[in-house]
Amino acid sequence: MDKKVKIKICVGTSCFVQGGSDLLLYNDFIDPEIIEKCDIEGISCFNACKGHENGSAPFVMINDKIYGDMTPEKLNKIVIEVYHARNK
Amino acid sequence: MKDIFIDIDYSQIYKFGQKIGGDVFLQKRNPERNQIVAVLSDGLGSGVKANVLASLTANMAKKLSFSPMDLKHSANIIMDTLPVCKERKISYSTFSIADIRYNALNSNIRVNFLEYDNPHALFFRDSTNIDWEGDVTILDREKAFKKEEIVHNVFNLRVGDRIIIISDGVTQAGLGASRSLGWRLNGVKQYISDILKDSPSISSRALTKQIVNKALSLDGLASKDDITCCCIYIRKPRRTLIVTGPPFLKESDDLLCQKIKDFKGKKIISGGTTALIVSKHLNKKIKVDLSTWSKDVPPSSTMDGMDLVTEGMLTLSKVVYTLEKKIPLVELANDAVKKYIELILDSDQVHFLVGTKINEAHQDPSIPVEIGIRRTLIERLRKTLEENYLKETSIEYI
Ligand code: FES
Repeated sequence: MDKKVKIKICVGTSCFVQGGSDLLLYNDFIDPEIIEKCDIEGISCFNACKGHENGSAPFVMINDKIYGDMTPEKLNKIVIEVYHARNK
Repeated sequence: MKDIFIDIDYSQIYKFGQKIGGDVFLQKRNPERNQIVAVLSDGLGSGVKANVLASLTANMAKKLSFSPMDLKHSANIIMDTLPVCKERKISYSTFSIADIRYNALNSNIRVNFLEYDNPHALFFRDSTNIDWEGDVTILDREKAFKKEEIVHNVFNLRVGDRIIIISDGVTQAGLGASRSLGWRLNGVKQYISDILKDSPSISSRALTKQIVNKALSLDGLASKDDITCCCIYIRKPRRTLIVTGPPFLKESDDLLCQKIKDFKGKKIISGGTTALIVSKHLNKKIKVDLSTWSKDVPPSSTMDGMDLVTEGMLTLSKVVYTLEKKIPLVELANDAVKKYIELILDSDQVHFLVGTKINEAHQDPSIPVEIGIRRTLIERLRKTLEENYLKETSIEYI
């Protein structure tokens, strides 16, 4: 059975104003077939915005790994990669 | 904050085709003297002339004093001042005046009630109608064309009581059409009793709206007279707590959560970090609702026991802006701001619990949000709530 990709998009202030709002339009830039294989939720703040280890906002967590400087293109790419890596 | 709220509101529909009402409702709150005066006056006829008569009456009534002693005197002054209609030989507008005095510390509310020629006001205790008569005083004015009777009564009101004042446009609704004798006082009474049985804590605004709409429908949707109804309702205040910002000291997190738990009323957590603290201490999950957001307002969340959990600054500043600009609810996007505003507008008292810790993330100069804004925003919010929406507010820093 397919393993779902867990995606957590930060909707906290810092992330939202620095591009996080665009990520919430995931339906527009991720293939619907892939979306079906994902569990997408919002998170109020990972606290990642308080340090610099993971780059800067906006942050998204994909299967427990935090990614910074997220853009719709980058998110789409990572999700596809992660999905295929898991379901090889 | 007071433990009692006097909810006074009215609804009105003008006579079909008229742009101005001959029924006038006025209320004046005088908090320094713990007094509210509410007046409903119906001027002879309809349109501009009636409106002038009624406004004049209502304004005079508002200013005069209504202690039982000079009651007759006050009524005389009003009636002597009004011009006389030459053809019909009647000089007046009718009026009902409620002079409400309350004590800020206890729930003792005393209403001096005066009525002249309006339909008899209705008194409800919870959902039960209670008949009342009052003392009748005959004014023997020299200029009078007919017997002029003033009804006076003192009501001692408690929580759950309502006085409902209506104009004859309500009791006569449907006259000759849907009801041969009109709706009549008994019909209105029954209708209100039924509503109150179903929704015992209905607000004055909603109740009066239902009554005038019903009257309008009896009139076949073309009102034959001005239809006005007002309601004085004594109830417990509806309260909302707004928690925003983490406490200055970490040790106070527990206290913050205790205060939230103990609060009786609706609860809004305004800020992601604050929400995380509460979630951790009360062991409740935050669930972000990805279906409600808009371009400049992040999604809201839900948490067990809280009525709304939102992001902080962006949401709060939009709430303040929307309220200050008095943008109607129907024009708002379906996002956290709308929910936020709905909650506050539905309350009588808003209490702010403001954490004063500086949020590290917001000190980053690249982020267009800064902490000093929180205080300013809260001050603006309080100001607009008090001045434009007549809410009571209070604030506590932690
Ligand atoms: S706001 Fe996104 S990690 Fe803090």
